[in-house]
Amino acid sequence: MFYIHQSSSIWTQENFAATDFNEPVDRKIFALEPAYQDIPPGILRRMGKAVRMGVGAAMPLLQNNVKPNGIIIGTTNSGKEDCVKFLNQIVDYNEGMLTPINFVQSTPNATAAQIGLLTKNHGYNITHTQLGLAFEFAAIDADMLLLENPLHNYLLGAVDDISTFNYNFEDKAGAYKKEDISTKNLYESNTPGCIAGEAATMFLVNKNAQNAIAKLVAIDTLHNEDEQILKEKLQYFIENNLPNGEKIDLLLSGENGDNRLNKYYTTCEAVLNETTSIVRYKHLTGEYPTATAMGLVLACTILQTQQLPTTIIKRKGNNVAYRNILIYNNYKAVQHSFMLVSIPN
Amino acid sequence: MKKTEKNNTTLLSRIVVTGMGIISAIGNSVAENHMSLKGEKNGITDLEMFPSNFAGKMPVGEIKISNEDLIKKLDVDVSGITRTTLLAIHAIEEALQDSKLTNTQIADFDTALITATTVGGMCLTDEMYNDSQKDSIGSAYLSSYDYGATNMVLQKRYNLKGQINTINTACSSSANAIMYGARLIQSGRARRAIVGGVDSLAKFTINGFNALHILSPNICMPFDEGRTGLNLGEGAAYLVLEREEDVVGKKKYASLSGYCNANDAYHASSLSDEADGPYYAMKGALDVAKLNPSQIDFINAHGTATENNDKIESVAMLRLFDKPPAFASTKGNVGHTLGAAGSIEAVYCILNLVHQELYAGLHFKNPITALGLMPITAYKKTALTHIMSNSFGFGGNCSSLLFSKV
Repeated sequence: MFYIHQSSSIWTQENFAATDFNEPVDRKIFALEPAYQDIPPGILRRMGKAVRMGVGAAMPLLQNNVKPNGIIIGTTNSGKEDCVKFLNQIVDYNEGMLTPINFVQSTPNATAAQIGLLTKNHGYNITHTQLGLAFEFAAIDADMLLLENPLHNYLLGAVDDISTFNYNFEDKAGAYKKEDISTKNLYESNTPGCIAGEAATMFLVNKNAQNAIAKLVAIDTLHNEDEQILKEKLQYFIENNLPNGEKIDLLLSGENGDNRLNKYYTTCEAVLNETTSIVRYKHLTGEYPTATAMGLVLACTILQTQQLPTTIIKRKGNNVAYRNILIYNNYKAVQHSFMLVSIPN
Repeated sequence: MKKTEKNNTTLLSRIVVTGMGIISAIGNSVAENHMSLKGEKNGITDLEMFPSNFAGKMPVGEIKISNEDLIKKLDVDVSGITRTTLLAIHAIEEALQDSKLTNTQIADFDTALITATTVGGMCLTDEMYNDSQKDSIGSAYLSSYDYGATNMVLQKRYNLKGQINTINTACSSSANAIMYGARLIQSGRARRAIVGGVDSLAKFTINGFNALHILSPNICMPFDEGRTGLNLGEGAAYLVLEREEDVVGKKKYASLSGYCNANDAYHASSLSDEADGPYYAMKGALDVAKLNPSQIDFINAHGTATENNDKIESVAMLRLFDKPPAFASTKGNVGHTLGAAGSIEAVYCILNLVHQELYAGLHFKNPITALGLMPITAYKKTALTHIMSNSFGFGGNCSSLLFSKV
């Protein structure tokens, strides 16, 4: 359990309530990148896209000498752009005299390292890279650190970018839709594949309820393709973590328009009460391994505003208030995650 | 800055190592590695297993078993399998057998698997290049390049259901994987953890370290005044970590008594003159274990034999210890195995403790003039209670582990 105090994102839309969406082009929705005024221009020029977005999202949270006790990042794709650029050098110059900049930036811990470097942070610095659970394991790491050190503060974040290269790998492996699609038709497409997205999302977290925007009550993961095991694990998660007398008011579903995964979301919905409201967000964010970090931002927003933007509603229940939100995500059938997020009290 | 020196972590249960597995340039098992360390075996040779312009120019710590032979030996039937994954299976297989975990325990929701890797599927340099191009036909390796790909194969092979995570913090990755696994147990999120790291030699890393001008054309000389850089190596090692109260009557090799990760926050690929990151990591591990510097009997140094690392690691040892304890680097035996280094050296530290002996740091002649520190250069039997192991990586990522006699 920990409290979320602030978040900062560089992502694909202006906000969740917008009606004029940043639409996918060729099945990719790119992030709306800012001018990055917090990063010295000389350093900014040398950064790969994931590092730039990650540092750019983190810096606003670290102004005024805010110095967290550690930097915990989840990422799967960051560094791949530099990695393939360096591979290109190796092949194009036949292992000749190469420049090391792409090699140094190809390591996925470059984002956490750059944030540490620019803010002179000597604390814990880690990068989790387990595909569709990279952000969840970063969050679990933060949760454990705060159990060990209840007075500490941590920067918890996620970053994944769309590069030509990782898009090509994923596309050939059948991850993306073959047809062009607009955000509003994503969930009705009934075809395999999703649309690609990207974002950097950062949170400041600690054990202090005062002035918090949300409480991450619990987080867990599952590795399995069997819907029955998903059902049992999800029931167990809710029973163990939802306080007596409380109910799940809202399901924040990770549906991404890939009809091969619908059965998992149906299983999840069946565990919940029929009057539970359901919202979806991947038509706005696109799909990428750490997309649940933006799901968590959306959960924080709903808990604060107590409003559901109409464009994200799948099913409107009869709720008068949103106190407990379940974020369920499935990544490529085998990786599942559950986060219970509640109003801080 | 002082704040980070204080780490409030205290260990609740004692975490013990109940199984080990390893494959490296000096042996295919714990027993073979032990014999090689005692026998001062140098595993650094010419690159032979794949074509590269650096073959014959830059020596490497290479495992002389082909992928085809590994596939046969390990009875693997998975398309798109990489050398990285094969080495991981080789080591984990030994660790699981050694630990005597039952299949039910391995497949329990409470068993975590934490793997570290920095190369992942990039050992397939040419295949990856082709697959990255828009118009090529995808190879069998499309899902094999991710760092998390090795774990996905291991998950299926052993029917794992608990937390399956991959950590990549460059050359300190597997020290962090060991630390993370121990913390999962301490927090109650896992009952046992299979933790380790793997990396295979690749054109990618050979060219990368060469571009940084830190590859040595000679066999590396850790802590020597005349050192000329590092040799890359490949390998894998896994440990099985359990709570001491769960393993009554079972063999225990050592306890994992301390750990810390700290950041140098100085430069993307070199360490600060003050050695802040290495110092905070070593100091933090002592704090977790509630030990004084004087209680450390030996340091398994990161000791890559680069100009920067060995100097700064020495500065850190001089800063933390009144008189640094005995120390040595095994990079002279197996090369720098990157994401596997922390776990391979964890096995070596445990061998130190179990056999109460120190192994010679190879290829050393003269101490670094300004610092005067001399590593252990001959095998010796000696009483050992607490051993520190250092791993420092790009991005200033510094981690230290402490292993203690049980």
